[in-house]
Amino acid sequence: MNAKLLKTQVLPALLSGTARTPLRPETGDALAALSLAGQALRLERPQPPASFAIEAQARDERRTIPDGLRRPLLRLLNGKRAGEDVALAVAWAMGRLKLRLHPFDLPKLDSFVTAHAEFLGAAAQHWAVSAKSADETQAAPQSYFDAKELEETNWSFAPLFRRALFLEEKRRKDAAAARTLLESVWPQQNPDGRVRLLATLQTGLSKDDQPFLESLQKDRAPRVKALALKLLARLPGQSGSHPALAACLERIQRSTTGLLRKKTVLKLQPPANIQERGVRAWMSEAFADVSCDELARAFDLTETAMIEAAEKDENLILAFALMATRDRRLDLLEAVVERLPDAWEQLSQCPNSAPVEMAEEDKQRWAAALIRPYKNDPLISYPAWLWLHRALEGPASEMLFGEIVRSGKWLTKLQEDAKPHAAWIDVIAALCPSSQRAALQFQMAELAPELTATAVPLLEILDSLEKAGNNA
Amino acid sequence: MVVSELDAGYKCTCPSRKFPCKHSLALMWLRAAGKTSFAAGSAPEWVKDWQSRRRGPGAETDNTGDPKPKASIHAANSTADPPVDPVAEAKAEARAAAARERNRLEREASIQGGLEELDVWISDQLERGLAGFAAHAAQSCRLMAQRLVDAKASGLASRLESLPGRLFTLPEPIRPAAAVQELGVLHLLAEAYRRQDALPPALKADVRQSIGWSMTREALLAEEAAVRVSGSWRVFAALSEVQPDRLRRMETWLCNEDPAAAQRFAVLIDFVPVATGAAAAGYSAGDRFAAELVFYPSAHPLRAQIASGQSGAQASAEPLQAPECLLGAAYAGYERAMAEQPWVGTFPLHFRAGLIRRSGAQLFIAENNGIALPLQPAQATLARPLLQVDPFDGIGLWDGYYFTLCWAQTELGRWGNA
Repeated sequence: MNAKLLKTQVLPALLSGTARTPLRPETGDALAALSLAGQALRLERPQPPASFAIEAQARDERRTIPDGLRRPLLRLLNGKRAGEDVALAVAWAMGRLKLRLHPFDLPKLDSFVTAHAEFLGAAAQHWAVSAKSADETQAAPQSYFDAKELEETNWSFAPLFRRALFLEEKRRKDAAAARTLLESVWPQQNPDGRVRLLATLQTGLSKDDQPFLESLQKDRAPRVKALALKLLARLPGQSGSHPALAACLERIQRSTTGLLRKKTVLKLQPPANIQERGVRAWMSEAFADVSCDELARAFDLTETAMIEAAEKDENLILAFALMATRDRRLDLLEAVVERLPDAWEQLSQCPNSAPVEMAEEDKQRWAAALIRPYKNDPLISYPAWLWLHRALEGPASEMLFGEIVRSGKWLTKLQEDAKPHAAWIDVIAALCPSSQRAALQFQMAELAPELTATAVPLLEILDSLEKAGNNA
Repeated sequence: MVVSELDAGYKCTCPSRKFPCKHSLALMWLRAAGKTSFAAGSAPEWVKDWQSRRRGPGAETDNTGDPKPKASIHAANSTADPPVDPVAEAKAEARAAAARERNRLEREASIQGGLEELDVWISDQLERGLAGFAAHAAQSCRLMAQRLVDAKASGLASRLESLPGRLFTLPEPIRPAAAVQELGVLHLLAEAYRRQDALPPALKADVRQSIGWSMTREALLAEEAAVRVSGSWRVFAALSEVQPDRLRRMETWLCNEDPAAAQRFAVLIDFVPVATGAAAAGYSAGDRFAAELVFYPSAHPLRAQIASGQSGAQASAEPLQAPECLLGAAYAGYERAMAEQPWVGTFPLHFRAGLIRRSGAQLFIAENNGIALPLQPAQATLARPLLQVDPFDGIGLWDGYYFTLCWAQTELGRWGNA
C-alpha cells in the first residue's frame, strides 16, 4: 500500500467511520491502516502557500534607542504603575529627539506604540496601522515618511501633527505662501486633516484668507464649514453676523462705578440653568469662538481696559484667560494673571483650556505666566500639574522649573500631604527639564520608594534618551 | 499506613497526591508526641513487601526484635552500626529482587491488558469516524487515560490525556487529520510495545519510556551504554507547561556550541507539582554552561540529564553559531529522525538564511524558494518585526504542525521568543 492509496482510500474511510465506509479487505486491519495513514500524513512535507504577501517597507531614518535602554524602557512602560503621562513623556521625548524604538520591541510595547505612533517614527506608524488592520491582506502597502527637516516639497507626506506644525511656522513667516501650500494639498486631506490644517490659519489671519475661507462653505465636513465660518467672523472689518460674540455680549452686564472718576465694570451672568460647578464648562464653550480683540471692540474698550473692568468678576476674568490662551495673547494673559493669581488652578479645571498650535517657546512663556504667582509656594494639585504637562507636551523650561526644585518646597508640601500621590510625582518627573533631573532625583530619595518607583526610572530614561538623541 | 522511624520513610494506601499525606504526618506526630502507646505486632504483607523494596536505613528493619527507639535522631546519633548478618542480607536481597521481578511481571501484564483496552477504544473511535473526534475528545480521552493509569501505562495515559488540548490548538479544518496522526501514533506505540523483543535495544528503550517505564537518574548515570557528551551548551529555549495531572513540565532546550559534536541538541525535562509555585527551570534563553550530559537511551537521543562538571550558567549575548544548512536540510534531519523513531515529538531545527514570510494572517518560516513551515500562531505578533529583516540564522522547535521560533540572529541583533 502506498501513501497515495492511504490518502485516497483509507483516510476517507477513517474520517467518515469504518461502520459507514468499511475498509477494503486488502487494506487489512483498521488499526494498522490507521497507523499507516497517520504516519503517511506525518511524513508529508508541509506545502508552502501559493504566494506570500509583499510587505510594506517602512523606511525609518531615525536613530534606534541604545540597546542598554531597551529593557528599562520595557519595564517602565509595561509596568502596572506607569500611567498615561509617563508614556506621553517618553513618546514626546522620542519625537523631539528623533529616536525610534528597536523594531523587536514594537510588539512588546504594542499598546504604547498604537497610542503614540505619531511621535515614534515611520516604523511605529507602520506597526500601528498594520496592527489595526484586522485582515492584513486587505491592508494596502503604505509609504511612511519621517524626514528630519520638512520643506515645501516634502511636507505633505509627513504625519498630520508635523504638517500642522510646519504650516503654523510657515504662517508666521509668510502667511500667503502658507495658505497657497495648504490650498495645493487641500483636496487630498481627510476631514481630520482639513480641520487640523485649517486651524493653522488662525496665525496671521487676514483679509487675504477670505476667498479661501469662503470657498470652504461648500466643504462636505460640517466641522470644516463651522471652523471656516468662525475664521471668517474673525477677519478684521467683517460685517457679517457673529452669533458667538452676540451670545457672549448677552451674558456680560456692563455698568459704571465711581463718583468722580467713572469706571466701567463688566460682570458675567451665566444662564440660570447652569449650576455652579458647570459654569467653567459653559464658559469654555461660550467663549471658544470669540477673540479678546472682538470682545473689546464690541465694548468699545481696549483689551487691557476690558480686563481691568472685569477684575472683580472671577468668572469673567477666567474667561479672558481662556480667550488669551486661545488667541496666544501672552501679554493679555499676564495682565489676567495679575488679577487672578490662581489662574493656573482655575484653568486646569476648565475643559479645552490648554493652548493649541502654540510654538514651543510661547508655550513655555505661557506656562511661566501662569506659574509666576506660585513661585514661592508651589501648587500641590495633581490635576493642575497633569494639565500643565499635557499642555506643554514635554518638560518645562529650566527657568520655569528650576525655582521649584531649588526651593524644595514641593517636597515639604508633599510630605505634609496625608495621601501622597505617586502619579503626581511621576508628572513632576515628566515635567522636569534635564538640567534639574539630578537635583530632583536627590530630593526624591527622601520619599518612600513605592512613591518614586516609576518617577526615578522615568528620570533616568529621559536622561538616557536625551544623551542618545544629542549624540546623534 | 507505615512510617519508618530511621529515615522518616512512609507509605500510605490513601490516594492523596500530597507527600507525605496527612495520615502519614498524623502517625509521625502521634509517635513523636509520645502521648499514644504503641505495641509491637506483626506487619501486614504489604508492609513487608514495601520494606523489602526499600533501600537505605529503613529497609528490612526487624520489627519483631527489640523495642524501637523513640525517635530517629537517636539512630542518627548512634555511633555503632548494627551488626550485619551476611546470610540474612543475601536472603533479604534475594527476596527483594524476587518481589521486584514479581511486580514487574504484574505491571507488564497490567500494561498488556491496558493496551488491549486501548485497541478496543481506538477501534470504537474508528467505527464512529475521526471527522468529529475532536468535538468529543475531551471526555472520551480522559476516561481512556484513567484506564491506562490503572493499567500502569502512565506515559501513554499522559499522551492521551493531553491529546484534546493539542487538537484544539490547531485550526478546525486540520483537526481530523491530526486525530488520525495522533491515534495512529498511539496504536503504533502499543503495537511496538507488544513486539518490543524484536526491536533494537535503543528503540525498545524508547518504546518502554513512552509507555511509562521510567528510568531514574541514578540508573541512567549508572548505565554504561548511555551516550555521554561533554561540551559548552547554550540554552535556546526554556519552556514550561502545566500538564493535566497538575504537574508542571519544564523543558530546557540546549544546543552544543561545537557544530561538529555528535549530539548537537539536548533537552532537560523536569516535573514539579504546580502547587510548589515553581514556574521556570532556572535557565533562560542565551545562558551558557559547560557540562557533561548523559542521554536517555533512544534511537534518536534528545532527553538528557546533567551528569557532571556543570559550571554556573552565565547569561551570554554572543550569537549562536548555526550549522552550514538551510531550513530544508534541517527539516530533512527531522524526517530522518522520524524514520528512526516514528513517534518522534518536538524536534529542534537549526538553520541558516531563514525568512519570515506572510500569507494572510499566517506567518511562515521559509527558505528562499524552498520549504515553508507555518509559525506558531501565538508568535504572530512577536515575530512580525522579522518580516522586515534580511535572512537570518535561527533555531526553533517543530512539533509536526507548527514551528516555534526560539532564537533568530538578525542584523538588528538577537530576537528571542519572550
